[in-house]
Amino acid sequence: MTNGNATALACRDISVNYGVVAALADVSVDFAEGMIHAVVGQNGAGKTTFARVAAGIVHPDKGTVEIGGKPVPVGNVGRARSAGIEIVHQSFALPPSFTVAEAMEFGAEGRGALYSRRDLERRWTRHLDALGVRVKPRERIRDLPVETQQAVEIARALVTDAKVLILDEPTAVLSPSGIDNLFERLKVMQANGVTIILILHKIREVLSIADTVTVLRGGKLVEGPTLTTEIDAPRLAASIIGTTADGLSDTDRDALVGAAEEDDDGTETAAASVAAGPAILDMRGISTRPDPEGPALVDVALRVGRGEIVGIAGVEGNGQRTLVRALSHLADITAGTVELSGIEVTHQPLSDRRANGLRVIPFERNSEGLSLSSTLWENWAARSLLRDGVLRLISPAKIRKACSAALKVWDVRFSTPNQPAGSLSGGNAQKLILAREVDEDATLIIAAQPTRGLDVGATAFVWRSLREARARGCGILLISSDLDELFDISDRVVVMLGGRVNGEFSRPYHLGEVGAAMTGADR
Amino acid sequence: MIGYLTQIIRAVAFVFIALLLCGVIFEFAGFSAPLMFQSIADGAFLSMRAWENSLRWGLPLFLTALGVVISFRCGFFNIGAQGQFYMGAIAATFVADGLNGQSAVLVVPLTFAAGILGGALWALWPGLLRVKSGTDEVITTLMGNFIAGLALIYVTSGPLKDPSGTGQAASSRPIGEAYRISEGNSLSPTIIVICVLVGVGMWVLVNRTAFGVLSSLAGRNPIMVVWQGARLSRLGLAGFVIGGALAGLAGTIEVLGPIGRLSSGMLPTHGFTAILIALVANLSVLATAVVAIFFGGLAAAGLYLPVLAGLPAAAIDIINAAIALFITARAWPKRLTGLLRRDAT
Repeated sequence: MTNGNATALACRDISVNYGVVAALADVSVDFAEGMIHAVVGQNGAGKTTFARVAAGIVHPDKGTVEIGGKPVPVGNVGRARSAGIEIVHQSFALPPSFTVAEAMEFGAEGRGALYSRRDLERRWTRHLDALGVRVKPRERIRDLPVETQQAVEIARALVTDAKVLILDEPTAVLSPSGIDNLFERLKVMQANGVTIILILHKIREVLSIADTVTVLRGGKLVEGPTLTTEIDAPRLAASIIGTTADGLSDTDRDALVGAAEEDDDGTETAAASVAAGPAILDMRGISTRPDPEGPALVDVALRVGRGEIVGIAGVEGNGQRTLVRALSHLADITAGTVELSGIEVTHQPLSDRRANGLRVIPFERNSEGLSLSSTLWENWAARSLLRDGVLRLISPAKIRKACSAALKVWDVRFSTPNQPAGSLSGGNAQKLILAREVDEDATLIIAAQPTRGLDVGATAFVWRSLREARARGCGILLISSDLDELFDISDRVVVMLGGRVNGEFSRPYHLGEVGAAMTGADR
Repeated sequence: MIGYLTQIIRAVAFVFIALLLCGVIFEFAGFSAPLMFQSIADGAFLSMRAWENSLRWGLPLFLTALGVVISFRCGFFNIGAQGQFYMGAIAATFVADGLNGQSAVLVVPLTFAAGILGGALWALWPGLLRVKSGTDEVITTLMGNFIAGLALIYVTSGPLKDPSGTGQAASSRPIGEAYRISEGNSLSPTIIVICVLVGVGMWVLVNRTAFGVLSSLAGRNPIMVVWQGARLSRLGLAGFVIGGALAGLAGTIEVLGPIGRLSSGMLPTHGFTAILIALVANLSVLATAVVAIFFGGLAAAGLYLPVLAGLPAAAIDIINAAIALFITARAWPKRLTGLLRRDAT
């Protein structure tokens, strides 16, 4: 049956508009059967929207979808699934409290209303074994490591004999070795005749797994599907970035698109004075109480010097959030000490720590970083208003003026300081947070996932601001799940695993070594 | 500017639709809707006397509603204004009654202090429960209303009972003439001055202090201000206490002013109308003044309805309820987002 030239999925003239924004404009692509296809592009290029249209989740304003040569009504998940297309989302969709067997049954073709646990477990064990997923069917989803959760999710998608499997950024949450395992699994599926479409972010990954590559930029198709044997990394990088971010250094450009070679020789010079500087942050033996938002910290020691960027690497959920909360006095510290610029702050509330120069760019831009329904100037002024005393008289007009001036310096696109923060795009919202948190009095800036979801231009802007703060002598703690980003701008990289520090690296970084530390494998 | 204008138009439209709906209902019930609206307008706004009455009812409502505005802006759904109003009135009456015969220069300020304190304390305990242990303030303040209502019955038929009372609703002995801040049961310049001063003070607090900005941020997204290093519990408690204090002040004014005594079951919907006013005014201090006088007018007109339109005075309650339905349908999502503030530390 399998014919190399048959088309598994064909999309014609797909257009999707969100309000005035065109997420996709007249995208037409044919994906050949039995191959692994990559769809790449910057954040906001329309990759996820494209995947959702193909899977019938998003109803396009225009365009048609064909699966296996037959037209499928658009915007109908049920019809798309019965035509043989399945999607695995970026954020997992399995109910965390279900067991593996229950989660597999959930969403599968309806059988009887009654079932016994043993039946379920027997049925799904066989299915999981066949796909090489080693997991006990009785375990709960929430207790599984991220990598296994994803494997179960993929196995669930394959329950109904899928012909086309779409994975939306499956590598974003995985360690380097996890990515290798995923790719091996995908190759097995390919050999079984499944057509796989991967939404990816990094050129390195595209070139190592995909047969063809398709590039989206600003909602438009700019490349492909092109055989990966006929394209090289520099051309792909140029195609992804376009001309939007001129003036990027080569290393930044490579980091943005994940095109760096496995072993980066990291010839950055700016960080020469690092180790000599006095400590801005000195954490010793910090342990915390377990916390619903992540594992407790266990005996964590961490030092950030003046003018140093320290990167925190690790698979998500290994204590990074607890670390930021502990540094912000929002997690219960049970042992150890924290010093900021030589002053012990272990039991100081966040307001006092901020007075000592601590600044926090929290993980969740839209809930922890900003009040979306409040105005720009209120969000911008929050820090200084708290610092100067709550009952002080203020002049909102003056604050609005100062806010306008500051936001212009930070290149935020806005029309009035009275508009709600929720009306800003992700990149501009992040710049608003930077405008508030990166000031002259800052000594330690904690930047948690500061570039997540941002496009190339905004990402480069955030990196530049962090480097400028470093040049002024700030210490910076950068938490990121993107190793390319960490390798590009960190002077040192500390790996966290299960709430502990599991290794520290300095330039030149080796992806393999850092990756091994992330999963606890022997180096 | 456009934003303010649409907000005003929207609020007016809600009230208008509610009135229209009531008109239709009353028409079906066999009453004359045009006559009803005519008598509301007459009773509330169409004469000097009517305006005086509207202010007499509207100004205490304004104070209580301001308290509601402050605590809602902080993100706390303190619906205990009624209880705080009662507790303020009770505390004030105890002091005015207990010190009867002393100089007014001493007694009146002490009475005000007691009334304000009484209301503030009745808001403090739900506030503490909320910020210390996360107890839902809707439940506690609502329960507080019942307790305060029963306390009012107890003191007016017990410790403060007027022995000469004639069997109807139990009430306290009348407040000594020397301590009254208005003549008879009407408005007085003193009351107007107090309300203007408090109104200006609250406007400054909300619009011209860091507290105003921070409490509004906290009300909209408490997690964000926690990450800024704010002590949410203090902001929240301040919101509760100021809210209670203003309701207590309104209670004191009623006791020392128009009503002149404490009576069991007095003004049973005062605190709830105040919540309605705060919501219609979209938590703006200035708009609260306007809306409070409008609702004061409705209350004043309510006294005329039986005479003029043959409607029961409760028709005003029905109108208020209809307005409440429309306004809360809009306010509800805010409340829901408020429920998400789990780590209010």
